[in-house]
Amino acid sequence: MTQTRDIFQAIADPTRRQIIGMLARKSLNVNAIAQEFDITRQAVSLHVQLLNECGLIVIKQQGRERYCEAKLSKLKEVTDWVDQYRKYWDNKFDSLESYLAKIQKKKK
Amino acid sequence: MENYNTFKQEENILIHTRLLDAPRDLVWEVWTNPEHIKEWWGPNGFSLTTKSMTVEPGKIWDFIMHGMGKDWDNKIEYVEVKKPSLLTYKHSGERSEDYNFTVSILFEDVEGKTLLTMKSVFKSKAIIEELNRKVNAIEGGKQTLNRLENYLKILGNE
Repeated sequence: MTQTRDIFQAIADPTRRQIIGMLARKSLNVNAIAQEFDITRQAVSLHVQLLNECGLIVIKQQGRERYCEAKLSKLKEVTDWVDQYRKYWDNKFDSLESYLAKIQKKKK
Repeated sequence: MENYNTFKQEENILIHTRLLDAPRDLVWEVWTNPEHIKEWWGPNGFSLTTKSMTVEPGKIWDFIMHGMGKDWDNKIEYVEVKKPSLLTYKHSGERSEDYNFTVSILFEDVEGKTLLTMKSVFKSKAIIEELNRKVNAIEGGKQTLNRLENYLKILGNE
C-alpha cells in the first residue's frame, strides 16, 4: 500500500508554511531556502521533499541547479471546504456570543 | 494565556472550541429551545422556522431555513442528550449517505463561563478531502484565487 502525503500534514508545520510562503514569491533552490533557517540543510531538504511529495511544490532542473517552485493550484484545496466550514462556525459562534450577551443584559 | 477559540482537523474529525461568556445552563438552553436557536443558527441573512423540536435521543429537530428566495428543509436527529453537558446530533437528508456527519457538542463549565467543544465526525478523512475537491471544482476561479492570494500574503508576512 502506498501512503499518499496529506496536504494538511504538509501545512501543519510552521517551517513548511514558511517555505511555501518564500516559494510563492519566487523559485529558490534548497541552499537558498536553507539560508533562511537555523536548521540544517538536510532538515530543510526533508521538508522540501515532503512538500514535493504532496504536490505543493515542484522541483525543476535549471542548468546545474534544482529550483523549487510553489504549485499554487494544489494549495487551493486547503482553503476550500474545511476552511469554509471553519469560517461558517466561527461566524455562528460569533452570533451565538452576541445573542448570549443580549439576553443576559435583558435579564439584569 | 491559553487560546480557547481554536480549530483543528484530526483525521476524519473537525474540532472547534469556543469559550462563551455565559453560564452553561443558558448555553444549553439556546441550543435546545426553538425560540432561542432561531436567533443565531443558520447562514447570515436567513430566517428559521421550527416545525418541531424534541431534544431526546432518536427524536428530531425539523426546521426550515428561508433565504436566497427559497425554503430549505432541514432535519437533525439527536443521538445523545445529556443536559447540560453533551449534545450529539446527526445531519441527514444529504444527497448521499456518505456525506452525512455527526456533530457532538460538549458544554463545560469554566469558572462560570462555558467552553464549547464541537466535534464534526465524518465517515472518513477521504470524505472530507472529497468535499474539498468538490467545492474547489464548483467555486473555482476568482474567489478562491483571491483568497489564496490573501493567504499567501499572510504567509509571506509571518
